[in-house]
Amino acid sequence: MKNLDCIFSPKSVAIIGASRKLNKIGNVITKNFIDGGYEGDIYPVNPQADEILGLKCYPSVLDIPRSVDCAVVVIPAPSVPKVLKECGEKGVKGAVVISGGFSEIGNHELERELVDVAERYGVHVIGPNCMGVLNPRSHVDSIFLPMYKLGRPRVGEIGFISQSGAIGGCIVDLCARAGVGMSKFVSYGNASVIDEADLLEYLAYDKETQIIEVYIEGVKRGRKFMDILKEITKIKPVVILKGGVTKRGAEATMSHTASLAGSAEVYRAVFKQCKAVEAHSLEELFDFAKIFYQPKCRGKRIGIITNGGGTGILAADSIERNGLELAEFSDKTKNELRQKLPEYTNVRNPLDIAGDADADRYQAAIETVIEDENTDFLVIIVLFQTAAIDSRIIETIVRANEIRKKPIVAIATGGEYTEFHKRILDSYGVPTYSTPSAAMRAVAEFVNYSMFVMNSRRG
Amino acid sequence: MKYKELCNMLSEYNINVIEQVVTLDFDEALEFASSRYPVAVKGISEKMTHKTEVGLVKLGIKNEEELKSAWNEIYGKMEGAEPEGIAVQRMARKGIELIVGGREDVQFGPVVMFGLGGIFVEIFRDFSLRVCPISERDADEMIKEIRGYPLLLGTRGTEGANIQEIKKLLLNFSDMLVEKRVNEIDLNPVIAYRDGYVVVDARVKE
Repeated sequence: MKNLDCIFSPKSVAIIGASRKLNKIGNVITKNFIDGGYEGDIYPVNPQADEILGLKCYPSVLDIPRSVDCAVVVIPAPSVPKVLKECGEKGVKGAVVISGGFSEIGNHELERELVDVAERYGVHVIGPNCMGVLNPRSHVDSIFLPMYKLGRPRVGEIGFISQSGAIGGCIVDLCARAGVGMSKFVSYGNASVIDEADLLEYLAYDKETQIIEVYIEGVKRGRKFMDILKEITKIKPVVILKGGVTKRGAEATMSHTASLAGSAEVYRAVFKQCKAVEAHSLEELFDFAKIFYQPKCRGKRIGIITNGGGTGILAADSIERNGLELAEFSDKTKNELRQKLPEYTNVRNPLDIAGDADADRYQAAIETVIEDENTDFLVIIVLFQTAAIDSRIIETIVRANEIRKKPIVAIATGGEYTEFHKRILDSYGVPTYSTPSAAMRAVAEFVNYSMFVMNSRRG
Repeated sequence: MKYKELCNMLSEYNINVIEQVVTLDFDEALEFASSRYPVAVKGISEKMTHKTEVGLVKLGIKNEEELKSAWNEIYGKMEGAEPEGIAVQRMARKGIELIVGGREDVQFGPVVMFGLGGIFVEIFRDFSLRVCPISERDADEMIKEIRGYPLLLGTRGTEGANIQEIKKLLLNFSDMLVEKRVNEIDLNPVIAYRDGYVVVDARVKE
């Protein structure tokens, strides 16, 4: 395994191509390191400046008096191999080459030069043509998008590998807004030295990463990717979105197999075979990722608590559509519910605790259903619009989530007031969804993966 | 690869191929057929791979007279097409038609495909796919994954298929793809029964 700590948690960083000019990439990245609270040493490198953003600037990486763990490279492509060579001579262990203008525009010769230098000096190179690296814990932030435009997520459990900078940026921004945390993010561009298989392997062993998300359009080393993926999913869930033209098998081929099983189908087969969770859209990539930090369950019987009848029914419909089951509460649970809830409550699943339910009634319902022996997974629906619901409900749900007795999701459909509370729930690690159908798709993926892991551990 | 070699290769991997003779000698064909009527007669030529469409397949041949006339007709159609031979096969009894295929993927290597034959794969695209080599669990999941799976279990009085035997077929086929690395291959149809299966036709492109 390639140790990429030099990229994700370096003790010192050189920013080659740092700039004084506002909104230049070399300026944005330097600012990110400073404003983001990076605690290591920052060395701007630019032969045309003495000082950048208050930091002493060096003409070349070789002029830096102390050792450098990682270089962020943002200079025009033709000069990259030369600068990388200097990094090699300096003993820099890792480099993030943001610069574009390599194989992606047909300049294979230049990319080969870069690879040669990297291999000769053993420099771990991310990129070229990438958007950078983010580690909220070490405050490493070479993403070239300014902080006021692209939010940075809190420290969390999701590690995200993205071939595309654009998709990566969107997910990072969405996570930041929703309050969902990340452990590491990397946009790896052309993957000419460090590829997706290396990154997967690194995150597999990374203690801070519990869930891995991947966006790919293609892979460099198919078999290697597959071998690693198969091993990781036994210990960590991997959610993958595969983009790219769905190239089906050519129509003119002789065999049925070749005409049916094109490259897109093979990728899908690989994900299935390796027990990775396939997302089909950006929304799913985001929705699926945040559910996987829930404690695993052994079954697919879902209990629903709601203060609105219709949403409960829609959720129950989605349960069936996604191959899940509606739990049948035990007699013990029913008796307890009868004692705790108003007498007009119908104590069956979905459990409608009525429009006048407040946080206390939710509390009573949740603590009973979470103990129900016939329920594997708990869905809590809250219509935040009712008069009786106030912000105390957040505490009730967060507490139920934190005992980690059973997996939980929340569903909150509505406008600003609802969205505000939804964000708080997400930021406390309660996966919260805007619609029953989005929630149940995620629940189904979670339950399938849970059962796979539980069964393979037992076997 | 010749059809005969392909069939031998399948047998080498313990894949059940229909009992047949492939020959250009009518007397040999006649001798094979005489104790096995009804038989099927198929023209084999690498230049004419879509046998049925060009009339190279005659089914349910019941006697010497019918065999002679089918033989002559097929022989005539293959003139100039460098025929490898004419296959005379024992008629497979009715069962569930399956298709099992393989191809070499540039990124992941050999892949194996499984589906129900005829309209199921062609119209409904109901098939499953895995990268070789496959495990027993993979084979099991491939079979259960297709929407037509209940047909294999037998419904409304139909006999269904032997899932265990299909699993073995997929595993053997996967081993063959890994070792022989063929570019494209179809076993189509494979006919499945409660007590086993038989490969009735196969095509390969190296």
